[in-house]
Amino acid sequence: MPIYKAPLEDVRFVLDEIVGLDKLSALPGYEEATPELVGQVLEEGAKLCEEVLFPLNQSGDGEGCHFENGVVRTPKGFKEAYATYIEAGWQGLACDPAYGGQGLPKLVNIMLEEFICSANLSFGMYPGLSLGAYNALSMYGSDELKQRFLPKLVDGTWSGTMCLTEPHCGTDLGIIRTKAVPDEQGGYTITGTKIFISAGEHDLTENILHLVLARLPDAPAGTRGISLFLVPKFLAKEDGTPGALNGVACGSIEHKMGIKASSTCVMNFEDATGWLVGEPHKGMRAMFVMMNAARLAVGIQGLGLSEVSYQNAVNYARERLQGRSLSGVKAPDKPADPIIVHPDVRKNLMTARAYTEGARALGALVAYHLDVAERHADPRTKRDSDEFVQLMTPIVKALFTDIGFESANIAVQVHGGHGFIWETGVEQYVRDARICQIYEGTNGIQALDLVGRKLPQDMGRLLRHFFHPVGRDIEAGMEDDELGEFVMPLAKAFAKLQQATALIAQKGLKDPEEAGAAASDYLRLFGLVALGWSWLTMVKAAKAKLAAGDGNAAFYEAKITTARFYMAKLLPQVNSLFITITAGAKPLMELEDAAF
Amino acid sequence: MKIERAAVIGAGVMGAGIAAHFANAGIPCVLLDIPAKEGDRSAIAKGAVAKMLKTDPAPFMHPKNARLITPGNLEDDLNLLADVDWIVEAIVENPAIKADLYTRIDPVRKAGSVVSSNTSTIPLAVLTGGQSERFAQDFLITHFFNPPRYMRLLEIVGGPATRTDALAAIADVCDRRLGKGVVHCKDTPGFIANRIGVFWIQAAVNAAVDLGLTVEEADAVGGRPMGIPKTGVFGLMDLVGLDLMPHIAKSMLATLPAGDAYREQVREHAVITRMIADGYIGRKGKGGFYRINKAGGGKVKESVDLKTGAYAPSEKARLDSVSSAGRDLRKLCEHPDKGGRFARRVLAQTLAYAASLVPEIADSIVAVDEGMRLGYNWKQGPFELIDRLGSVWFAELCRSEGIPVPALIETAAGRPFYRVEDGKLQHLTTGGVYDTVVRPDGVLLLSDVKRAAGKPVWKNGSASLWDIGDGVLCVEFTSKMNAVDADIMAAYGKAMGLVGDGKGVWKALVIHNEADNFSVGANLGLALFALNIGLWPQIEEMVEGGQRTYRALKYAPFPVVAAPSGMALGGGCEILLHSDHVQAHAETYVGLVEVGVGLIPAWGGCTEMLARHQANPKAPRGPMPGIAKAFEIISTATVAKSAAEAKELLYFRATDGITMNRDRLLADAKAKALELAENYTPPEKTTAYVLPGPSAKAAMELAVEGFALQGKVTPHDKVVCAALADVLSGGDSDVSKPVGEDHVLRLEREAFMGLVHTTGTIDRIEHMLLTGKPLRN
Ligand SMILES: Cc1cc2nc3c(=O)[nH]c(=O)nc-3n(C[C@H](O)[C@H](O)[C@H](O)COP(=O)(O)OP(=O)(O)OC[C@H]3O[C@@H](n4cnc5c(N)ncnc54)[C@H](O)[C@@H]3O)c2cc1C
Repeated sequence: MPIYKAPLEDVRFVLDEIVGLDKLSALPGYEEATPELVGQVLEEGAKLCEEVLFPLNQSGDGEGCHFENGVVRTPKGFKEAYATYIEAGWQGLACDPAYGGQGLPKLVNIMLEEFICSANLSFGMYPGLSLGAYNALSMYGSDELKQRFLPKLVDGTWSGTMCLTEPHCGTDLGIIRTKAVPDEQGGYTITGTKIFISAGEHDLTENILHLVLARLPDAPAGTRGISLFLVPKFLAKEDGTPGALNGVACGSIEHKMGIKASSTCVMNFEDATGWLVGEPHKGMRAMFVMMNAARLAVGIQGLGLSEVSYQNAVNYARERLQGRSLSGVKAPDKPADPIIVHPDVRKNLMTARAYTEGARALGALVAYHLDVAERHADPRTKRDSDEFVQLMTPIVKALFTDIGFESANIAVQVHGGHGFIWETGVEQYVRDARICQIYEGTNGIQALDLVGRKLPQDMGRLLRHFFHPVGRDIEAGMEDDELGEFVMPLAKAFAKLQQATALIAQKGLKDPEEAGAAASDYLRLFGLVALGWSWLTMVKAAKAKLAAGDGNAAFYEAKITTARFYMAKLLPQVNSLFITITAGAKPLMELEDAAF
Repeated sequence: MKIERAAVIGAGVMGAGIAAHFANAGIPCVLLDIPAKEGDRSAIAKGAVAKMLKTDPAPFMHPKNARLITPGNLEDDLNLLADVDWIVEAIVENPAIKADLYTRIDPVRKAGSVVSSNTSTIPLAVLTGGQSERFAQDFLITHFFNPPRYMRLLEIVGGPATRTDALAAIADVCDRRLGKGVVHCKDTPGFIANRIGVFWIQAAVNAAVDLGLTVEEADAVGGRPMGIPKTGVFGLMDLVGLDLMPHIAKSMLATLPAGDAYREQVREHAVITRMIADGYIGRKGKGGFYRINKAGGGKVKESVDLKTGAYAPSEKARLDSVSSAGRDLRKLCEHPDKGGRFARRVLAQTLAYAASLVPEIADSIVAVDEGMRLGYNWKQGPFELIDRLGSVWFAELCRSEGIPVPALIETAAGRPFYRVEDGKLQHLTTGGVYDTVVRPDGVLLLSDVKRAAGKPVWKNGSASLWDIGDGVLCVEFTSKMNAVDADIMAAYGKAMGLVGDGKGVWKALVIHNEADNFSVGANLGLALFALNIGLWPQIEEMVEGGQRTYRALKYAPFPVVAAPSGMALGGGCEILLHSDHVQAHAETYVGLVEVGVGLIPAWGGCTEMLARHQANPKAPRGPMPGIAKAFEIISTATVAKSAAEAKELLYFRATDGITMNRDRLLADAKAKALELAENYTPPEKTTAYVLPGPSAKAAMELAVEGFALQGKVTPHDKVVCAALADVLSGGDSDVSKPVGEDHVLRLEREAFMGLVHTTGTIDRIEHMLLTGKPLRN
């Protein structure tokens, strides 16, 4: 049986020492988010995840969702768990108090999301999509739509979806076919088929709000002709309770590799009534706002899976006795030493650990800037933070989900043959982790977003928000002898990143295919340096704590040791990535299509 | 015959502008108009001169040129005409009034002097009718374009009686001294440029109305994509004045031959007629086809709806034809949208009209093309445009638009109007054979050199090296906007390697190009990207490398002559400061404008300006006046608005040369380079900068504080000024220990690197690159 304990201590460390909760509660509207309150919230959340959601993870995977006559049933226990979840108000944790939310920082919510995804990713999909719908609607919806629908999304009695994908298009949304025609009442009728719609149909809530991308009759071709609509499953009655069924039906659900307890639906819209969200033909812009938050959330899914995989791997490595340590017997009273003594096993464990903790710190920093971008009083600071988030979004999405998958694989590997067996519980993480690399824009597309959009934007302005602070930290670190072993490798890796960036900017300007060919290697290189920066920041914080003599010394010592591992064993991957980037597009493009 | 003194009669915009331009050329000029009714009887001419001193763009290249003009009136000062060699008449377009004037001036003018009229519509035969034989021999038409200083075209027309030596002498003065592109025309209505230009404007307006284009759309297609200034046709009319158009139409119709295509083209548009009646006549009126509506404190660009005449906020034209055709003119014309249809119709009608007018208006197509390029600022003349389309394709276009195919197109029979044979440019004659295009004596065009050579001596992505003959090597910038970048630095390096000690194959180096602007400065885009990703060492190397290269050029064992025209700003100005000699086109606009982007000149610009101003014999003694002057010029990003002004600011030295005619610039520069190459010795290093250090810095900062109190200085201006003051004061040096230029160069680098680390500077650079405008932060 798999295990899970929410990493509260590490989260506290990140919040207090890396981000600085005090800075957060200094933002307008977040005055209540004191360290004490945040601590309580996270502890409660941890309990919910460990005790309510985690126990349903494996059973939900085994049972999957049920589809009968257009009705979807979630696995046993999900309904009750969801009721518990919304009763405690978790759905509205970071939502606007004006609509019944608790108005806590997004950062806190994102930390909680990590716990949920570790405990039960399939379950997390339902509230996650509701939050996505909430974000889009609160940003672009008319006041009337907001008044009518947001409170329901906030209290969780209704849920939301994002309906983008169609049978013939996933990545290339410019060729969407779903149509929207204005009706007499100032609304629209929507007709078309959407596929792969997560939470498109289920039995957890009394109504479902679909956010649907569709084309108006006079729409220009391509992404500039797409509009966003809100289409409820049930049309509301006068009193606001769900009334007549709208023209929306679930045609079937998918049988799939992972996240089996999350329903993935074919949704048929036939003259369904909907309302325009935002301006006509500007749907992609609205979607992008939603997508930025959603992409961060998917990155956090990767982080959650990485964490739970790591915990199970460590747990097993301590218990499983096999072979003797190469440096002499470690457990003479046992028939064999625990496998944690073996260098190769340790390499696996350290890898998962260093990625996970590094990602957590980086993710928290990005989430913090999300809050600053929304709340800060100074427009310049707001803009800078927003641009930092924009830059880091594809990196968090792709890097973290890759890490999630790698850690899940590590967990299986550490478990040996037992890892391959369903009952052990870790192979589920591999399967679940796999989708995170695909949806919300495949990781390949994230890399293209990074090199094609974020990198060249305004002569590299977004980059400045990363490169300048990292450069400064390295320079400052150079002054400190004690940091040498951490700063030097980071400085070298950073120089490679700078060179690769300049190279791609230069080559990509002339030939976009060169940029495309370098994209995913570049994203990884960037991500590794970003994690290195997180680790340097953590080392400094841990050293300060140790010097001050407060807190759990073993925890801080371990941080420093893990940082050393990261700098010595993982960060140098940037060198090979750099070499492959400089090799250019030719090796990829040379073979004739027909020769494949 | 020699033209040493001139007179202009008629002190209107054109007459006064022509007089000013005589002054620009150093030719003393009498300016006469009718006597004022009261007060000073010469008030009209005097007023015109005074007004020109305040006009922008300035008719004078330097305010002191106004002193070369002697204003007077036609009653008391006719005797002044007795001294002049050339009298330009620029009075109202009325044959009777002109005739009367001619009769009055003829007796007083000196024997053999030339009289010319600036008429744009009256035939020469009419003007000389009734005048003496002697007058007719001395008479010709010189048609300037407005504004006379800036428009390069001069149309010249001689009559059957005109003395050939008079015609030649005037053409020569116009070419060399006034710097004009002289085009010989026949005595036909509107000569070349207006004959075609007026037709084109009418055709474009008609097509826009008929095809339902908005003014933005018409100008979006009819501007840049067709090689016409981006004002297009409606923007142009706003500039010249809508009210002018009916007058021109009237006078053209009065004199054009029967059956001329313009007669069919001309049409009155009710909307435009009403605009004129209501005073919406363009920029000089309440607005034109475009206007800026400042109602309610806003600043909204609006344009006229051609159907209703109502103003509405301008909408950027979105035409697939424009965005998909790129630079392909034929593709533009073939596009099915209204932009494509507009291009097709306007080009077919206008080019066919032009083609039908040779040899009626000029003997050769070369004159027609030159006329439209210099008179209307088209990038290419009508025949060059037809070549871009292909004459066969164009004939087809004419047929499909229902226009008779001009005889000349038939003559071409599918051949191009221009071709290159043995490296020489040739044009098709009306006789159907090719003739070499001959350049006047003393004209050397880099484009001709390039055509003849085929390929450069060496090139990279941003520069080429050309052999311009007699052992002179020419560096040509080819980067976008001629921005200075690492490749241009590399080209200098290569050139220095090739020329070596100047005693081998190569003797001297000339830096020149034929783009509109010599160089607008360093490539900021590259720099900003490097800066955004924190590549500080690379940026520092860019600065230091530039310093090294410019120094090396300055002290090279061979002469370096720079020959700029148009803008030479920032890094493009600094190369001029390091050349042994600058041979500048009179219309060169130089300045160290780095502070606009939050930087200071750091390729030796501060160092050189400091040296020049400290050594200025006209300045008061002591180290401080020179420092203060350099500080004033650089800290305010002062741009000289002419080569003459550049001399005053010491961007150019007293010994640097000015060439009025751009086409003669390279030849002059080359001659100077060869002259210097005889027994050449490189300049001595300036070793003794006497710089007071902190006390001087404090003085400059105090001055800045003074301006700050007047609200003229922004917060980041202060930061930049402090950095500049640090460099110019010598940093921590003091007067007792003179420092060398290495010291000042080091300070430049340090100040530069300090500034690029500030948010204020980064914001300025970014803003400039994204909006093209300076940020006042
Ligand atoms: C379980 C699950 C849940 C989902 N939930 C939702 C949901 O709730 N709402 C929703 O709208 N969609 C959902 N999706 C759809 C998902 O977002 C898409 O599958 C995904 O965006 C990829 O689209 P696609 O499947 O059409 O692949 P394709 O777009 O066909 O891509 C195939 C491959 O080609 C690559 N590729 C495509 N275009 C390019 C390019 N231009 N350059 C480089 N590489 C390219 C991709 O990276 C990918 O590797 C879900 C999918 C699954 C499996």
